[in-house]
Parts: sequence; C-alpha cells; structure tokens
Amino acid sequence: MKHVGAIAGRELRSFFTSSVAYVVLALWALLAATFFLASVIAFDSEVSRLQQFGAVEQLELLNLNDHLIGSFLFSMWFLSIFAFPAITMGLFAAERANGTEELLLTSPLTIWEIVLGKFVAGGTFAAVMTAVAAFFPGMLFAYGDPEVGKTLAGVLALFLVSLTYVAIGGFASSLTRNQLVAFLVTLGLLFLVGLMIPQLVVFGLASDALSGQSALVEVMRWIGTGDHFERMLTGLVESRDLVYFGVVIAGFLLLTKTAVESVRWR
Amino acid sequence: MGGMSAPAAAIEARGLSKRYGDIVAVDGISFEVGKGEVVGFLGPNGAGKTTTLRMLTGFLPASDGSARIAGHDIFSAPLDARRSVGYLPELPPLYPEMTVESYVSYVASLKEVARAERRDAVAHALERCGLADVRSRVIRDLSKGFRQRVGLAQAIVHDPPVLVFDEPTVGLDPIQIREIRGLIADLAAPRHGEQRQTVLLSTHILPEVSAICSRVILIHRGRKALDQPLDSLLSEQGSLEEVFSRVTSGDEAELPEANA
Repeated sequence: MKHVGAIAGRELRSFFTSSVAYVVLALWALLAATFFLASVIAFDSEVSRLQQFGAVEQLELLNLNDHLIGSFLFSMWFLSIFAFPAITMGLFAAERANGTEELLLTSPLTIWEIVLGKFVAGGTFAAVMTAVAAFFPGMLFAYGDPEVGKTLAGVLALFLVSLTYVAIGGFASSLTRNQLVAFLVTLGLLFLVGLMIPQLVVFGLASDALSGQSALVEVMRWIGTGDHFERMLTGLVESRDLVYFGVVIAGFLLLTKTAVESVRWR
Repeated sequence: MGGMSAPAAAIEARGLSKRYGDIVAVDGISFEVGKGEVVGFLGPNGAGKTTTLRMLTGFLPASDGSARIAGHDIFSAPLDARRSVGYLPELPPLYPEMTVESYVSYVASLKEVARAERRDAVAHALERCGLADVRSRVIRDLSKGFRQRVGLAQAIVHDPPVLVFDEPTVGLDPIQIREIRGLIADLAAPRHGEQRQTVLLSTHILPEVSAICSRVILIHRGRKALDQPLDSLLSEQGSLEEVFSRVTSGDEAELPEANA
C-alpha cells in the first residue's frame, strides 16, 4: 500500500493546477453562504412570527440545530449531488485519455493501490468541501449555543455522503476515457441513489402502489442516501447508518477495481 | 571477464500468444535477449509488435505462453518483473499539467526509487535525456521531441536492467529522430564499467535498426520470421530492406495456399 500516498498526492496537485478545483470550491462556498443566509433569515422570521403570537411553547421548541443547521446541511447535501461529478470525472478517465494508464499498470503497484490512491485524493477534497460548509454553522457558536454533538453529527453525515459520492463517481470515471461521459453517468447515479429512489418510496407509499411490498420499500429506502443522512442530521449516529456508508463505499471501490483491471481482459 | 557462466537472459519469451476472440494478434513467439544486448524488434505495422511488448511489460496478460524479465516470471512474480523494466509506450504516458521534474519524480516514486536517492535519480535521468534546462517547464508546453525525451527519462529513472521502447521515433521530425536515436544508443552504451542496459526496441523504420541494434527479431503476422545478429544477416542476405520485403511480401504467395 506504499504507493497510495504518491498517487493521491499527484491527483490532488493536478486538481489544483487545473481550474476545476477552484471553480467547484468557489461555487460551493458561494452557494453555502447563500443557503446559510437563507436559513438564518428563515429562522429569524420564524422567531419573530412566534413572538408576535406570544407562542411561548413553540418558541422553546425552536432551536438552532433542528431549524437552522439541519436545513442548511440538507441544502449542502443536495448541492453535493451536482458538485461531486465534476470532482470525480477525471479520476480514472484522464489516465485513460493521457495514456498514463499504461504507466500505472506497468509499474510495480497493485490495482488496489491505484483505486485507493484515487479515493484518498477525492476524499481529501471532500474533506476540504465539508470544512468549508462546516464553517458557516461554526459561526453560530459565537452568537448562540447550538448543540455540539448534533452539529458534529450533521457535519459527519455530510462528509460520509461526500465520500460515498466520491466512490460512486470514481467508479463512473473508471468506465470511460471521456470525462464528460463520466460526469453525466455520475450525475445520473447520484440522482438515482440520492433523490429518485427515496422519492419513489414516498410516491409509492402515498399512492398505495407499494403497499404490501414492505420488503421492497425497506430495500429501496435502505439504498437511498437520504434516509441515512437525515437520521444523522437529527444527531443520531447509529451503527446501521455507518454500515450503510461503509458498505456502499466498499462496494463501489470493488467495482472500480474490477473496471480498472478489465483493461487486462481485453 | 565474459564467458564465466551463462547468465540468465534479460528477456526470455516462450510461446507468447495473444488472442482477441478469433483474432490471433501474437501467435507463439519465442525469443531471448541476452544481458546488454540491443535488439531491434522489427515488423510491418500490425504485425503484433506493440501487443508483444505490452505482454512483456505486464500491461496485457498473455493468452498463452510465458515470459521472464531479468529472471522474474511475468505471471508468478509480476511486481518483480515490472520493477525490472523501463518502458516507453508508443504514446508517451505523460501528465500534461505537470512539470518535467515533478513528473519524472512521481514516476521514480511509483518505480520505488528510495526517497533518499530520488532527487539524484531524477537529476541523472533529466541530464541523460537532455532535459536539465526544461526541468521546470510544464509538459503541455513542450515540443513533441522534448515530450519523447520526457518519455525516455521516465523509462530510465529507476535504472532498470531492461529497457523496452515502442516506436520511440514515430512522428518526429528528422532532427528529433537523430537526437532520440543518439540518446538511445547512448543509453545502451556501457558507462563507467557498469553492465550496459538491455534494450528491446520496436520499430518499422529500417535505418533505425542498423543505427542502434546488434540483433534483429523480425515478426510478421504475429509470428517470428527471423532472429539473427545484424552483421551476419547483412553479410548473408544483403540489405535489411531486401530481407524485410522478402519476408513481408510472402503475403501474396501464401494467401492462395491458405485458402486452398
């Protein structure tokens, strides 16, 4: 595993010598600021509305975590569905297009080292993005008293979802030499896993189409990232959700390894 | 000091074959390249040169047969075999956004040059390939000839016993071709008493062979058609051009036979 660092380091340097990293980070920070401002304004108007009606009980229930930080992190998760395809599209596709795949596969390293090196690079970038997003709720600690545990659980949830999307995007990138194709396939997969499957469950339950299909509903609900993410936003860090992220990441890394190796089968 | 004991061959191929479905790209090729030899791997386009080199370097698995690189079997000890090769593929494997020096240094780390020796190894490779002056240039901005030199530098940076070059002068202008040939001849030359490196060089350009190589392996339609030292070949069979056209023009004569 000694080459993982070299591969990850080169990948990160190439992120930052190309403009993609800066464009994605700038947009991410800008939209984070916008969403955060929107969340603050919504929270503020809710407070004044409740004060107007003298609803003391509801005011006591209102808190920064559930009514501000949660909705902000939820927006960032939604945004990540669009951001991560741009970050991961080049991971493997660029190696194919450059012909450097031939360098990697004729060097004394294993395919796992290549796949993990790429994942570490994407994961490091995901950590930077999570840190940028976490900065905004972090500011609230200077002005109010959000719960530390709940806030950290939410930030951890965003990071785990990001890592999952890096693994999925890396897999899409390993299927092609064309970065645009990798981008679109990743976007499609993230829509499916992030949004469509959970929505199908909701619609299915509402229209009774899925009634009596409880096993199917449970499976679909499990596959979607939304359920796990939202549960962690409420401050619950449960092993079943951690297992979900671990299983999906490991599964896609395994698929990626197989795809990289498949050059040798042709 | 030669002739003490027969040293293991640097490259040893035994019945190497590559099939893609029904298409046979390489059909049971066997040959040996001794330590320090510079061998031209010759054949018309599509003869199976690149496929054979890709099997030897570990990029493609062979469908059949076996091979050893510096004594390491490419199947049972693939990492050791790959460690012993410096390989310049037909398309030099470059990252256009990197600088020359950081690229060669990255390859050195992939090829397991110890961290303490990496700086010297990189400087030495850049020096030998005439890249010292462009070390901090971005590869994207280099001319094709210089990019080919960077490709050579990454192949030699870990000082491997075996060098494999796939059509290293293709697409270059005549001056660049002369420079690259000079470089390869220089790489193969012994330096301060060390064992010279073994070079297997694929090409379809005949003067290249006579300029650099001591032996010729000619392959045609995936099979070995000829394997002879260059000087005896020239004295027995005339010019390389004649041999080449005799072997490859067998096509027309053989085809009706095969159909019959």
